[in-house]
Amino acid sequence: MTQALGDRTVPDQPTLVAPARRRLAAGRYVVIVIVALFIAWTLWPLYWMVSTSLKTPKEATSLSPTLWPHSLTTANFSELFSSSLPFGTYFVNSAITSVIAAVVAVLIATLAGYSFSRGGYRLSGAASVVVLATQMIPLVVLIGPLYLLLLKAHLLNTYLGLIIGYTSFAIPFGAWLMKGFFDGIPREIEEAARVDGYSRLSILFRVVVPLSVPGLVTTGVFVFMNSWNNLLYPLTLVNSNSRQTLPPGLLQSFSGTFKTDWGGMMAASVITSIPLVIAFFAVQRSMVRGLTAGALAGT
Amino acid sequence: MALPALLILALVIGYPMVAAVIVSLSHYSLLSPVHTFAGGANYSQLVHDPVFWQSLKNTAVYTGVSVVAGLVLGLLLALALERAAGPWRAIRALLLTPWAVPVIVVAFLFQFMFTTPGGIINAALLKAGLIHSALPWLTSPALAMVTVIIANVWTQLPFFLLVFTAALGGVPDEVIEAARVDRAGTWSMVFGIKLPYLRSAAVVGALLMIIQNFNNFPLIWAMTQGGPAYATSTLVIYVYQLAFTSFKLGYASAIGVVWLVLLLVIASLFIRVMRSDRA
Amino acid sequence: MKKLAAACLALTALAAGGCGSSGSASGKTVVTFANWAAAEPATAPGIAAMIKKFEALHPKIDIKSEPISFTDIEHQLVLEVQSGNPPDVAELQGNYLYTLAATQDLQPLGGYGSGAFSKSVIGSELKLGELGGQLDAIPWTVGPIGLWYNKAVMKQAGLKPAPPATWDQLLSDAKAIHKKLPKVIVLGMDTTSREFALDAAWPVMTSFGAVPFSGTTSTADTPAMQSYLSFMRTLAKDGYTPEGQKTGFFRQPAASNQVAFTVDGPYVKGVAQSINHVSDQKFYQTWGVARLPTGSAGQHYSTPTDHQLVMFKNSANKTAAWQFMQFLATSQYSVLNYTLKYENSIPPLASPPAEVAKELDNPITKSFVKSIIPEVIKPAWGAHYSAAYLDVMAGIQKAMTSSEPISSVASGMQTSLKSDLGS
Repeated sequence: MTQALGDRTVPDQPTLVAPARRRLAAGRYVVIVIVALFIAWTLWPLYWMVSTSLKTPKEATSLSPTLWPHSLTTANFSELFSSSLPFGTYFVNSAITSVIAAVVAVLIATLAGYSFSRGGYRLSGAASVVVLATQMIPLVVLIGPLYLLLLKAHLLNTYLGLIIGYTSFAIPFGAWLMKGFFDGIPREIEEAARVDGYSRLSILFRVVVPLSVPGLVTTGVFVFMNSWNNLLYPLTLVNSNSRQTLPPGLLQSFSGTFKTDWGGMMAASVITSIPLVIAFFAVQRSMVRGLTAGALAGT
Repeated sequence: MALPALLILALVIGYPMVAAVIVSLSHYSLLSPVHTFAGGANYSQLVHDPVFWQSLKNTAVYTGVSVVAGLVLGLLLALALERAAGPWRAIRALLLTPWAVPVIVVAFLFQFMFTTPGGIINAALLKAGLIHSALPWLTSPALAMVTVIIANVWTQLPFFLLVFTAALGGVPDEVIEAARVDRAGTWSMVFGIKLPYLRSAAVVGALLMIIQNFNNFPLIWAMTQGGPAYATSTLVIYVYQLAFTSFKLGYASAIGVVWLVLLLVIASLFIRVMRSDRA
Repeated sequence: MKKLAAACLALTALAAGGCGSSGSASGKTVVTFANWAAAEPATAPGIAAMIKKFEALHPKIDIKSEPISFTDIEHQLVLEVQSGNPPDVAELQGNYLYTLAATQDLQPLGGYGSGAFSKSVIGSELKLGELGGQLDAIPWTVGPIGLWYNKAVMKQAGLKPAPPATWDQLLSDAKAIHKKLPKVIVLGMDTTSREFALDAAWPVMTSFGAVPFSGTTSTADTPAMQSYLSFMRTLAKDGYTPEGQKTGFFRQPAASNQVAFTVDGPYVKGVAQSINHVSDQKFYQTWGVARLPTGSAGQHYSTPTDHQLVMFKNSANKTAAWQFMQFLATSQYSVLNYTLKYENSIPPLASPPAEVAKELDNPITKSFVKSIIPEVIKPAWGAHYSAAYLDVMAGIQKAMTSSEPISSVASGMQTSLKSDLGS
């Protein structure tokens, strides 16, 4: 299905060759210009982030910004790990809570999504609608009561508490996505296994899940990224540095009341972004497949 | 099988939501332990609150413009890169990068680029002769909204690109071949043939991003804290400020309830569209 | 089924691991200290060193620092108090004290803070921690707001390097500076949507005779307020003051002489020197600080940005907590190695010992202590300040960034204040 740009052979009619080719060439230029513009749009802020991270404090906060660092320094990076700011801890906490939230969400959402998709019990329709509707809930309004709940359970300042908080958006979203995927898998595939007498749960895990790996990946990645990016929950539910995650950590470390350390902030941003970008590259093709097969086909 | 999900949600969403509704019906300040029943007082207050309406308007503008821009530009890019093969595929991967950059980083980065004085955007525009004096990107009420939308589109465009790429991949080959045999031109190929297949993708993607943008806290909070003078204050920012800087939890919860109802209405409209697509 | 069971076990193990962090070990007294000093890159190493020294001096006491950012600590502490798990000691500033006092959970410090302690502290500073006749907070570091002026920049603009005595004088200086040095920020002022911004704006407003509210009475729709708002609009429209920036934003360009005047506490010196590494001598040659200019009222005003320490009623370790508070505020070690070294603010000592007095003997500190501290007034801090400040700051922002008529901005401010304050 894929073809290299512009390598199409034009069919026989000679009178159509010249205008078709010209239309093609003009179209090609338009495409190239558009793509080039967006490459610049994408790369410029990233370049700015990296170049600022290599500048001295004086140059980074200068009122006449310089296009590239006039005096290169890696001090911003080395300070990240040597200073008393627990940047490494923030990073690890973000990683742990986001990964576990993703795994847990995928697990529970798979069960729920399958149950909503295949139905078969009286309240499945209603339950499905309720779960999907919870995606609409303004999380900021839940935070007060949630704080009190976690306090009573001694779960403030813990990984588990934060992960429980994340489930409030991860599970509704995941269940919705997985339901979509499962809707797209024809029931006939499960028939053979059902005839052989397997339970619903083992049909799910033996037959359906292996066919839905792109869906699982997509759900996992979405939940991972939304958990990683979440500012509101760790800001309120965690106040000890040993358990704090990156977004509030970065917010308070670099945008303080005494001064704003742009160089340090950009260095931290670079370090924070690299693993995510790499991980994302690794899964993005799977996500394209996943979105094609599942969510778009079967909602 | 849905039991674990339902149990957890009852706990982390059901209970707090019920609590929030109860709180919205009382005069509840975080500062005092005394909470008196207020009935609909909070709700009538929000009807007369100009900042509430401003926040609602801001949310609509922020969400609407971001999503429409994402849809249009995402579609454009997906079409432009549709036939990319081999090394050119890397371009699409590159264009998807902004989505992987943590939102808090994007907020700081764009704040840094657009700040007056000292931001690179103004410096570059001045040097290129495109403007004559520094533009107040984050300090003018009108431009501040533009700036946060620019940052938002930068981070969300990849999602739409992803969705449309996937959807374009789902257009059946036979349809494309038939159109080509009929010598369909580029325009009719796009609008006549492919667009109908993209409709459901656009609807799903738009709904997802509308929900996300309603809840989008880090970007605006870190860039402008809702200022200047409430110009970029969306519902989530206003509720956060009411609850945590003015400690008026009761009033904040009332706004939250209104917001929930609003989103449910929007979502049901979308779902109706999606259902009719399938029919 | 097996997979589910395994997952549950894993989660429980995590929970156990995650929960195991709290709880005192080996019979030591643990004092929890909520503060933003540990959350800021400028002061985090300093406070860590103070905690270490204190623990070395008092081996039976463990200090557990809870870093919370400056903008979040007020509501975070309120949440903690309302949910029954406040820290033992907390760092507060400005209105935060009043917000927390409203929860009625602060430990009155009269018993601890009487006698020798109260004599060792500057009287007016101690009084700032008194609410309703009761001592609720002790001063830790002192920092009134003054007008910093850059003598080098003024000379470059052809002006005499003397601080302007009135706002009109400042405006004419501003014109000259902006003309000669268009890239320099003429006047740094905090116009963000933070509570602290109103603290910093208050003395400027008062010098115009404008008081937005007091207690629960809104008084924003006055000619004095209109003339203050017009002044702020002039600052913005004529390009003297960039809108929407924190006080801290101006300290860094100040290091490179890209700022002419800034309204700030003593903190400029520390931040500037951390960037340009000039000697104290050179710094005093470039920068001076004076009282804020006067307006039509003819009076100089200032407001405190003091950092205070409070103790909570439910603390189980009050004696240890007090020892820590006293150490931070008045011990020579802490004054020399934190207050002066990291914050560059002024210790609350009434009669500082020789070593400290030597450090305080410089033109900047002398100006703060002799001319500025006596002019300190309190803004309308109280339980309603947190509900009202945003209305005032939004009004100031509107005056600076829009072209709505000033009279309408002032009356709009009055209307929203009335609805938030109840009168």
